[in-house]
Amino acid sequence: VTARGLWRERSLLLLPAGTLLTVAVLVPVLRVLGLSLSFVMLRGGIETRWAGLAQFVRLWQDSRFLTALGNTIVFTTASVLLEMVLGVAFALVLHRVFRGRGPARAVVMLPWALPTAVMALAWAWIFNDSFGVANDLLERAGLIRQPLAWLGGPASAMASLVIADVWKTAPFVMLIALAGLQTIPTQVLEAARGVVLPLLAPALLVALAFRAIQAYGAFDLIYVMTGGGPGGSTETISLYAFSNYFRYLDFGYGSAIAVMGAILLGLLALAGSTLARLRRGA
Amino acid sequence: VEHARNERMGPAALASLAAALLAALAGCSGGPAEQAPMARVGVLVPSSERPLWLALADSFETAHPGVRIDVVEGPQATDLRENLYTASLLAKDPSFDLVYMDVTWTSKFAAAGFLEPLDSWFPEEERSRFLPEALAAGRVGGRLYRIPVRTDVGLLYFREDWLRAAGRAPPETFRDLLSTAEALQDPPMRWGFVWQGKQYEGLVCDFLEVLHGSGGYWIDPATGEVGLDRPESIAALAFLSGCVRRAHVTPPGVTTYQEEESRRLFQDGRAVFLRNWPYVWRLAQSEDSPIRGRIGAGPMVHRRGFPPAATLGGWGLGVSRYSRNPEGAVAFIRFVASMAGQRILCLSSGYAPSRAEAYRDSDFLAQNPFLEEIARVHRFAVPRPRIARYALASDLLQRHLSAALAGTETPATALRRAARETRALLRASGFLPEAGR
Repeated sequence: VTARGLWRERSLLLLPAGTLLTVAVLVPVLRVLGLSLSFVMLRGGIETRWAGLAQFVRLWQDSRFLTALGNTIVFTTASVLLEMVLGVAFALVLHRVFRGRGPARAVVMLPWALPTAVMALAWAWIFNDSFGVANDLLERAGLIRQPLAWLGGPASAMASLVIADVWKTAPFVMLIALAGLQTIPTQVLEAARGVVLPLLAPALLVALAFRAIQAYGAFDLIYVMTGGGPGGSTETISLYAFSNYFRYLDFGYGSAIAVMGAILLGLLALAGSTLARLRRGA
Repeated sequence: VEHARNERMGPAALASLAAALLAALAGCSGGPAEQAPMARVGVLVPSSERPLWLALADSFETAHPGVRIDVVEGPQATDLRENLYTASLLAKDPSFDLVYMDVTWTSKFAAAGFLEPLDSWFPEEERSRFLPEALAAGRVGGRLYRIPVRTDVGLLYFREDWLRAAGRAPPETFRDLLSTAEALQDPPMRWGFVWQGKQYEGLVCDFLEVLHGSGGYWIDPATGEVGLDRPESIAALAFLSGCVRRAHVTPPGVTTYQEEESRRLFQDGRAVFLRNWPYVWRLAQSEDSPIRGRIGAGPMVHRRGFPPAATLGGWGLGVSRYSRNPEGAVAFIRFVASMAGQRILCLSSGYAPSRAEAYRDSDFLAQNPFLEEIARVHRFAVPRPRIARYALASDLLQRHLSAALAGTETPATALRRAARETRALLRASGFLPEAGR
């Protein structure tokens, strides 16, 4: 086979994957980038005009965007931290051999299998002030005297969201950690318990990356449980971008929010991986 | 605003939506049909209203054999249906010829060029048959884009039995309500006054009534002036937040309530007063309701010396710019808005009709004696601002109202910020005064 023939064969083989990536990823990404550089106006029709970087300037002067960014960071940090701790703890317990381990694993995985919108609705009712189970249990236990409006105050609403998210996604971290544990030989585990975490680190990094990206883009849970309230205290950047697209038909600004969100997440990932490399090098 | 917005799209709804899209695709490619050409008119409706719309379609098709009405069942939640319509109209998709819309969508859809003006289809003679406020809600920039088919006004419900036992009249002013609520309540088992305090459109509706009842306003339709930071407006918000934070007649959980959460408390006999829409009457008076026959309703309370106010809601039909069959669509609108159509849509459901004649009709009054009260309250109806960026104006007001109720902003700070942001929004998007009704 000539070099040219080989090249042709390779490009032919790459064509299906390349086409799929172009259509499904590249085109939409370029479109969003283009929109983020334009003004979209409603004047008896949708008019689009070049804006340069004006939408990005507007972002940093918009207190609602800055609040949403802060909320996103709080939500991501709190829920991912708790999920990592609980997920690893569950994995360590469920890795041991005991009677009923199979069913126990299945039960722990259950929340992960439920659709988020459905379980968010259930959590909203659990945290309801008059009809909710949370208040009922706490009152019976004598921990509170007056029913609490869980989703009605800024701090408690955020805490409720984190609880619901941890309940739903700690099983995912557990699954990855469990898979990681199974690659470590039993003798090693038995000989030195202290080395478990370092050996598990590669698996945990994968779980961390997945969860951080998902929590950063969390939408359905928050949309259903609080709608971003009260007073905008649980609005995340994905909710804000969504409102701009669908409710305000402001595609330019909505795209700018999405692009800025992606840039910030990229910077975060870069910082994380650099830090990890430095520590390994040291 | 619609109640029961928490339900999600069911499999049946998805299936019928998919069917509609397939039907549209088949339409594009010509389809296999060699049969007589049937003009299709598609409309997306909430799942709970599907039986009513099927009955309307049946009745209409009998009189118009050439037109087939395709009733597509959508999700119950108003904002999800708004998103589906928006996505479909953005894609210039012709599958929904008719847009069945809330009052608040009209300006946005009209400004985006999604809707066909209806002025030439509905001459003055026909227009005069609707409740004037309901019809005016469909006007944007001097053109008519939406024909009302059912209307909504905010009401104050009360426990007539408790009021009578205590020798108290239904309240008229803010002060009346507070004193009666304080006297009759026994929290947390029985609250004085429940309403919609979650950060969403319903909160704006509740506030608008208190605002106008205090002599304030949101955006002046003629001048574009913003009145949110005037002293009377701040007093209005102070009343609402005071119900929760000072008088304690409203549960702190009101900051999470939509229509249904507040109705449940009232219907369980756990509230003296409830602010809500006309749909509550039917449910509260149903066979299995513990408060059946014990309630009354009237206009919202107001400041002494000012008229009460009732936020105008309701549903209407517009014609999509991308419709392939606007004639059929208009014919169907005309039918739904006729007395025959209004009977099918409103008689059994208890919805308030949009046609003025229905409020004097013996059939309607026999089925729903409550209509007289609605007609009375309709005189105090206040519309929400008809501006293209209404959703943004509403959202930023909601945020600050909600912050005041949660106690993170004072009423004065909340409304000063809301006013400043609203002015910036109107400057940026360009305000057009409403040209006559």
